[in-house]
Amino acid sequence: MEDLKEKLKHILIDEIKLQGITPADIKDDMPLFGDGLGLDSLDAVELVVLIQKHFGVQISDMEEGKKAFTSIANLADYIREHQA
Amino acid sequence: MQNVGKGLENSGAGPGPPARSWWQRLEAWGHYCFYLTLRLFGRTGGYLLLLPVVAVYLLGSREIHRRIRPYLRRRFPELNRWRLWLATGKIVHSFGRVLVDRAWLGTGRGRTLEGETIGYERLLKLVSKGQGAVLLTAHVGNWQTALAHLEQLPVPVHALMHYDREAAAKHYFDLGQGRRPFHIISTDGPLGGMVEATAALQRGEVVTIMGDRLVKGSSVSVDFLGDPVRLPDAAYVLAGCVGAPVVAMFAAKTGRRSYLLRIRDIWYPGWQEREQRAEACRQSAARFARNLQEHVDEYPYQWYNFYDFWQQ
Repeated sequence: MEDLKEKLKHILIDEIKLQGITPADIKDDMPLFGDGLGLDSLDAVELVVLIQKHFGVQISDMEEGKKAFTSIANLADYIREHQA
Repeated sequence: MQNVGKGLENSGAGPGPPARSWWQRLEAWGHYCFYLTLRLFGRTGGYLLLLPVVAVYLLGSREIHRRIRPYLRRRFPELNRWRLWLATGKIVHSFGRVLVDRAWLGTGRGRTLEGETIGYERLLKLVSKGQGAVLLTAHVGNWQTALAHLEQLPVPVHALMHYDREAAAKHYFDLGQGRRPFHIISTDGPLGGMVEATAALQRGEVVTIMGDRLVKGSSVSVDFLGDPVRLPDAAYVLAGCVGAPVVAMFAAKTGRRSYLLRIRDIWYPGWQEREQRAEACRQSAARFARNLQEHVDEYPYQWYNFYDFWQQ
């Protein structure tokens, strides 16, 4: 589980190109959108595509995504549940 | 008739206060007369009723002239004040005819307009690849009527749009017999509906977006009719991330009973590095603006953005 969270942090930094942030700066419960990491709706598009690409998991609507997108910890939970 | 001054998507009366003003009662009475005329005298009756309504708008509303003037000054820089006034009349009248058609289609079974879709085979071929497609259109021509014919596509069609329940849009799609040809993804939802739109494209489905209207969110500046204008760039991010094509497609009313839906351009927005994304989106928006300009060159009086487009 820790590996999954670390991988997600690296994806955010390397592929969504969060500026001036290291994986250690991203807390597991930090909000991804708005306050927190400051991602926006266009970043959400990239995140959905990257999750599909790296983990084979599709987030198809915000009913599912609402909780997953609140933090790295919840996103990791979502991916783990849907990979099974 | 609708309040043309607010533009297609925002042209309804709005929810309003519980106690209706005299203007709202007058508008409601106007709607009743309009639909009664359509039922009794068909579309011809609607077109005839349109003439005094257009005249009232032209003579009584400075607002409508003010709202259309920014477009006309750029599209027809050579026109004097009197000819600009007439050109405003042509646009209001053509918009009224589109509304009459839409109401007529929406209130009767089996009614259709004769339509032609130029490039439909190309669209079918794209869709069959399973990559999805972003259909980018604009507030020109009878776009809603024309888009209804996309229900023939072999995959679901979604419209990413601000959904105003009171807007003119409902007169065709919501007053019809449950035959709305596409599923609406509301931009008012969480993250502007982008997650749902991405998922639809990933499933190989079609998402239509109005490429001309900037309501909120990210945008880029491009040239249109000689001046810079800000256009939304979400469509290009969507297409580029998923690997789907952008299809620029515009509608025009070509006759009393006919319309044209033309696919003008198809391209794949793309970037190697994320730092290149903004410029790639700007280039795509510029390409869309060139296509839109070609369309309004051909159909100058079917422009229905009733506000200063260059200040959005």
